[in-house]
Amino acid sequence: MNLKIILSTILLIILIPTITGAFTYNSKEFQTVIKQLDMQGHADHEFSTCTIQKVYYDEVIEMLNGGMNEAEIIQSYVDEYGQAALRTPGSGKSGIIAWVMPGIGLVIGVIILAVWLKRLTRKNQEAVYVQPGKAGWKNETEREIIEKTFEEERRKLF
Amino acid sequence: MYLIGNIALVLGVVISLYSLAANIIGIRTGDRKWLESARGGVLSLVFIAAVASFLLFYILGTSQFQFSYVAAYTSQNLPMVYKLTAFWAGNAGSLMLWTVLLCIYAGMIVFSKEKRNPMIPYVSSVLLINILFFFTVMLINGNPFEMTDKIPADGKGLNPMLQNPGMILHPVTLFMGYVGLAVPFAFAIAALIMKRMDAEWIKLTRRWTLTAWLFLTLGNIIGAWWAYVELGWGGYWAWDPVENASFLPWLTVSAFLHSVMIQERKNMLKIWNVSLIILSYILTLFGTFLVRSGILTSVHAFGDSNLGAYFLIFLAFMAMISIYIVMTRYQLIKKDSNPIESYFSKESSFLLNNLILVVAAFAVFWGTMYPLISESVTGTKVNVGAPYFDKVMAPIFLALILLMAVCPLIAWQKAAFDKFIKSAIVPLLMGLATAFLLLAAGVKGLYAILGLASTVFMFGTHVMEFVRGIHARRKATKENVFRAAVRLTLKNQRRYGGYIVHMGIAVLTVGVISSYAYSSEVMKTINKGESITIGHYELTFNGLSETTRNNNGIVVADVSVAYKGKAIGGVKPEKIFYETWPEPSTEVAVKTHWAQDLYVVLSSWETKDKVTFMVKVNPFVSWIWTGGIIVVIGSAFALIGGRPAGRIQPTSVTKS
Repeated sequence: MNLKIILSTILLIILIPTITGAFTYNSKEFQTVIKQLDMQGHADHEFSTCTIQKVYYDEVIEMLNGGMNEAEIIQSYVDEYGQAALRTPGSGKSGIIAWVMPGIGLVIGVIILAVWLKRLTRKNQEAVYVQPGKAGWKNETEREIIEKTFEEERRKLF
Repeated sequence: MYLIGNIALVLGVVISLYSLAANIIGIRTGDRKWLESARGGVLSLVFIAAVASFLLFYILGTSQFQFSYVAAYTSQNLPMVYKLTAFWAGNAGSLMLWTVLLCIYAGMIVFSKEKRNPMIPYVSSVLLINILFFFTVMLINGNPFEMTDKIPADGKGLNPMLQNPGMILHPVTLFMGYVGLAVPFAFAIAALIMKRMDAEWIKLTRRWTLTAWLFLTLGNIIGAWWAYVELGWGGYWAWDPVENASFLPWLTVSAFLHSVMIQERKNMLKIWNVSLIILSYILTLFGTFLVRSGILTSVHAFGDSNLGAYFLIFLAFMAMISIYIVMTRYQLIKKDSNPIESYFSKESSFLLNNLILVVAAFAVFWGTMYPLISESVTGTKVNVGAPYFDKVMAPIFLALILLMAVCPLIAWQKAAFDKFIKSAIVPLLMGLATAFLLLAAGVKGLYAILGLASTVFMFGTHVMEFVRGIHARRKATKENVFRAAVRLTLKNQRRYGGYIVHMGIAVLTVGVISSYAYSSEVMKTINKGESITIGHYELTFNGLSETTRNNNGIVVADVSVAYKGKAIGGVKPEKIFYETWPEPSTEVAVKTHWAQDLYVVLSSWETKDKVTFMVKVNPFVSWIWTGGIIVVIGSAFALIGGRPAGRIQPTSVTKS
């Protein structure tokens, strides 16, 4: 008997929002859905002056209160308007291209940079000094570099 | 006035054509008379553009509705400041602003102390091509002096969203940045044509580029602030196509400002630097094309515009010319490049910085254009909105912040790892301590915590650089801390100006991350005397009143605010019903605190006693504006006193 009461209570707690239409603009579920919808390009408009947004807000509240979950609501919009219903590219072929291209750009950039750096540093390794330095420098180039660096640092600070 | 205005535009076309021809003849024959004549032509263009601009200001200020432009963007009761700022509210006026700025810049170049430099006629020619284009477009399809068929009794008025102090500064600063980039572009093209591929053009244009970057930064920051206080959706950056278009050149110029240092010091990256400045210039044209073509939906786009085709043609023309010149000079530019000493050096870190900034630009460009690309390729439009950019750009910017944290600690030529670790340890600990403190305080959001910790690490690095410099200076000179700090900074304004910019970006980043990750929002309908609670704030609605200002009806909500139970005054969000505009406009009430903004929008009302409010608490938003100001101060500081870096050229001899 006690178990039945507990189960009924839990069921009622779960169902009450649906029965009483308790979803509001502040509900987490509502926010999750609404943030994904493009609302025909009106997603970033100010709510109070945008009639299109109002229509969408009310529709979503109605759907939530009608018992639809977030995924179902999103799918219903995608069914109606296609991928253009959403603010971000979806998981279709076209959507994946949109998501991965910046990554591909980065990978290509990294490869170009790595190859180029390797070439430039190899070029440097081929460059050797001719005479040993007098004051303990490994070579003349290093001496000059260090002197220039000291001079540069001195100029920066003093 | 109609005649003066139109004659000015015709003269603009004629004189820019003449000056261009005079320059070409002068360059080919070496006859200075032609070059002098071209210089005179540029001066005349400055005069003509100034006359046309003053005339436009005059007809706007005196409400001469016989001019279509005045009738379309102003009205009798519009405050004078907005009558004047309507100069750049529409297509034709913004073209005029672009033209006058371009003419002034060209005048400054040809009459600068470098006026005898053989590059100047080439530079002037490139700028004249731009000026010619803008005067021609105005004459053909964007004439601000066009007359109406019938003089209206009153004008349509200015869009309420444009009646904001942001209108005075945002378009002008952004245009100064856009137009400013034409100057280094012109110098780069001139250097290429003359086959002078040393760093001279970079040294000559350093201040121009930095100024353009400063104005682009200022323009974007002011635009963000304007959007925040005016649009009423609670954010400041919507990744709108036109916002993106102004962000793109900012990213590429940021990359350029770093990579030129390598060319100045090491005579490297010549092709890269030329390409970056060409790209930045082309991106400014691309942004202008986006605003005027109507191909993408944007709050910034000019609704009545059909100028996109002109800009597309000009953009393609300039891009092709630039590519042709670069290709023909490729072998020449490739020569004389110095090697990099080590992977672990400032040179390499700057290259990595360039990579990240360019990838960021590519990602923004890709996201902006993808709806068009997908629609033309697959026939189905795929939207790319703010959530896409937030997700894609967050890791890119995190990488950039981390690089900014370590880059100042890496030495030129070849960095020693142990010294690097020694210098990095304190800022790194500061970053880690931040992460632990945030976690201990129960702050959620791993990515945001990671971003904030990295930002503190970056800020700490720069503070430590100042501390180390001051310490070294004090040790040698025995100066007090203040004097050592001032002299150290003044001694190398370019370097420390850059550091101030980075510190400003750190402050700004804290604001961006916090406001994105931790803002909260409530929308609620309440009766008079009832309250809304959000965070530690409690807002009580006291009543709704109506008033009139400049013939516009205003509905004001009186709301008192308490913070942690203590009254802190009130806010008065408004809804304005403009006499000349069909849609009401929202005036947001913002209560700013250093740690958060209370953002209140009067959304709607059923009766005088029952009102719906949208309330947001946006953490650390004021840090964004403060960071922006620091960035501007830092770049101005680097601009005023910065000298080009001295070149360190190792005298290595190739093994024979």
